[in-house]
Amino acid sequence: MKYFRQIATVAVKDVRAELRTKEAINASLAFALMILLLFSYTFDPEQEMMRQVSGGLLWIVFAFAGTLTLNRSFARELPNDCLDALIAAPIPGSALFLGKCFASFVLVLAVELVSLPVFGIFYRVHWTPQFPALFGVLLLGTWALTIIGTIFSALTVNIKLREVMLPMLTYPILMPALMSAMRLTTSLVNGQPIPEDDFAWLKMLIGFDLVFTAVSLALVETVLVG
Amino acid sequence: MLAALFDSSVWTALAAAAIAAIASILFLRSRNFLYDSLALAVSEIGLVLLAAGIVAGAIAGRIAGGFWWTWDARLTTALVGVLLYAPYLMLRRAIEEPTRRAASAAVVSIFALFDIPLIAVAVNWWLARRTVSLPLSTGWTILPVALLGAALASIRFRQEQQRRAQDAERRTAQEI
Repeated sequence: MKYFRQIATVAVKDVRAELRTKEAINASLAFALMILLLFSYTFDPEQEMMRQVSGGLLWIVFAFAGTLTLNRSFARELPNDCLDALIAAPIPGSALFLGKCFASFVLVLAVELVSLPVFGIFYRVHWTPQFPALFGVLLLGTWALTIIGTIFSALTVNIKLREVMLPMLTYPILMPALMSAMRLTTSLVNGQPIPEDDFAWLKMLIGFDLVFTAVSLALVETVLVG
Repeated sequence: MLAALFDSSVWTALAAAAIAAIASILFLRSRNFLYDSLALAVSEIGLVLLAAGIVAGAIAGRIAGGFWWTWDARLTTALVGVLLYAPYLMLRRAIEEPTRRAASAAVVSIFALFDIPLIAVAVNWWLARRTVSLPLSTGWTILPVALLGAALASIRFRQEQQRRAQDAERRTAQEI
């Protein structure tokens, strides 16, 4: 119980700090809208082909915009040596890590839930009929994004090339999760339920979340302390 | 022949990834820099072999089907593998302090090993229905490729150990 309270304290602190400064979430949102606009020059939004690439497009937007938020997750603690204080705080490293994960999760999910209707309007896809299932895929995919993003954000926080290294490290590792999420999202944003064949992708996405949550929790002390 | 070279280099690189991850775990447990040098040596050589293998595979595809890149599942998985391990080396370059560098690199190596099976399965599912894949043909070429890899890795390992010893001496001299 105490452990969960510690996680919640870190998570609430992070979300509150972000809502006060809005430094990551504004950039992330603007960036997401920008990519959505830019893609309309690549694909004709009125063509049928658009329906086949919609899931992929959406997750590229989420992954790119999410990285902006995740970059700040630990970098935010650098001024005034807040990071050292957090690591020295009498809470387990995994509680600190999970708290930061949940905070980033909420922020990234918020950006996604704003971009989704905009996407629907721009590209004329009918995402509302399958929204509950789509929301489930969003939760699973975003968890994959935040767990990998947060652990590597912690790993790269003290490096000069931080902003460059984080996407370089996270995107290849995220590839199976992104592929699953893209596949599942493509049918859902077009108003169709997940086809029978694609349940394997759902298992892949859940498996990815479980495996990397476990690996991250096992290695988090090493990442934080060195 | 070229397709066989590609397959052999993929298997060798896979073995290198496994050795690197085991060495990384051993480093995190023992903090013995010998394991860090080993992880670095096999990762580097594995990456070089994998890149060379992709070139061989692309040429094999060109000869067989007329296209340089066929989106063959194994070829694509190999490419993701290169993208997975190139940042490992970049991260090592970016961190100065030896213990911190070794620990961070070890974490990346372990993550990468856990990711390889997922990537292989996902890429296979994604591309399975669309493409004609290269013929599966490992054969005897695995032996020379694996031996070459082992030889190069052992040279690189010794080099790294020497560099580390020099570095340690320089640090001591500076402190004095």
